[in-house]
Amino acid sequence: MSANGKDEAVLKTISDMMAAGLETQTEPFPETEKEFGAILTELRHLDSEDLKSKLVISGFVNHPYGPDQQRCLECMYYLVHRKWCDLPELSVPVEPDWWCRLWRI
Amino acid sequence: MANLLWLQGGACSGNTMSFLNAEEPSACDLVTDFGINVLWHPSLGMELGENLQKLMRALVSGQVPLDIFVFEGSVVKAPNGTGEWNRFAGRPMMDWVRELANVASFTVAVGDCATWGGIPATAPNPSESVGLQFLKRGHGGFLGKDYKSKAGLPVINIPGCPAHPDWITQIVVAVATGRGGDLTLDEFQRPKTFFQSFTQTGCTRNMHFAYKVSATEFGQRKGCLFYDLGCRGPMTHSPCNRILWNRQSSKTRAGMPCMGCTEPEFPFYDLAPGTVFKTQTVMGVPRDMPLGVDKTGYVKLTAAAKAASPKWAEEDIFVV
Repeated sequence: MSANGKDEAVLKTISDMMAAGLETQTEPFPETEKEFGAILTELRHLDSEDLKSKLVISGFVNHPYGPDQQRCLECMYYLVHRKWCDLPELSVPVEPDWWCRLWRI
Repeated sequence: MANLLWLQGGACSGNTMSFLNAEEPSACDLVTDFGINVLWHPSLGMELGENLQKLMRALVSGQVPLDIFVFEGSVVKAPNGTGEWNRFAGRPMMDWVRELANVASFTVAVGDCATWGGIPATAPNPSESVGLQFLKRGHGGFLGKDYKSKAGLPVINIPGCPAHPDWITQIVVAVATGRGGDLTLDEFQRPKTFFQSFTQTGCTRNMHFAYKVSATEFGQRKGCLFYDLGCRGPMTHSPCNRILWNRQSSKTRAGMPCMGCTEPEFPFYDLAPGTVFKTQTVMGVPRDMPLGVDKTGYVKLTAAAKAASPKWAEEDIFVV
């Protein structure tokens, strides 16, 4: 499978999991670098194939989030054209209207 | 002929190493082309012991005129304000500094430690270190805020960790050739010719800054280092991307974040764990914005820039 094909397959898997009502840890939002770092540490300890835990820990949702309606599109880790989260600990395809609690601008 | 004396207080010799690598002009050019007489320097001086003390006394008394007094390193006042932790030529260095600064035509602080106290002055500052005329942002330092050298200028601050070699030699040449009066200094007494622009000025990653594409690991050949890796280029005054290091590169060009070493607060956040090479955020928004940018404007700009970013901005553009 090509890289693009693989990305699309993973994107569909994530979409399906969230559409099926996957409960993720959207709160608490990491207010400080220490809290942010703690989530990253948790992610680093996961099996690289454990997609579901990755989504749960990072608090993925398939819609904008919070009073400011934050979304991946504005996040600095988001690559617009590749539709990709470039945070090394996540490295997954994402849609621009999604969000997770590792959002940074 | 201008007499120059260079002393080191609480220092790592980094600025001396930098100075000796100067190219435009070089340390040798100072002597051969610009008539500077290096009376003594920690790495170049020939006098030792009694001979050195004799020279120092001759300078303090005015028997030998001191045109340029260059100081590298912090002024160490410990313990208890005595300065005994840093003795030089038979007495506390701080006593020499006070007396030499009083007779010098120009006093030049080289490097962060001499300018604002630098790393030695980081809390809890056990060596009671201060800069010549500042302690971090606080005006005063060791010589006091009203200090002026005989030429009528305050201490000329050339910060950096270390200062770029050519910043040092070019200022020394300006002073030695009678153009010291032409120097305009900013609020922290830095020569504006070097410290008016930002480290970001001339950074090869400015396109990535504009389109809000982040570098997420050191050494990446794409992405801006400001968003995630703690780069302070947009709020640090220095010409690091105009006057290149080793004539060919800079930290940000090489994929390493600027640490803001020409600003008084350096090292930022007192080197608390997790604050180095990591952009500090509050609820996902950078705590320190590019100078002059407010949070609302920043958020709006980000949304627009992201939406407009071209595909190439996401790819390595500096290929080998």
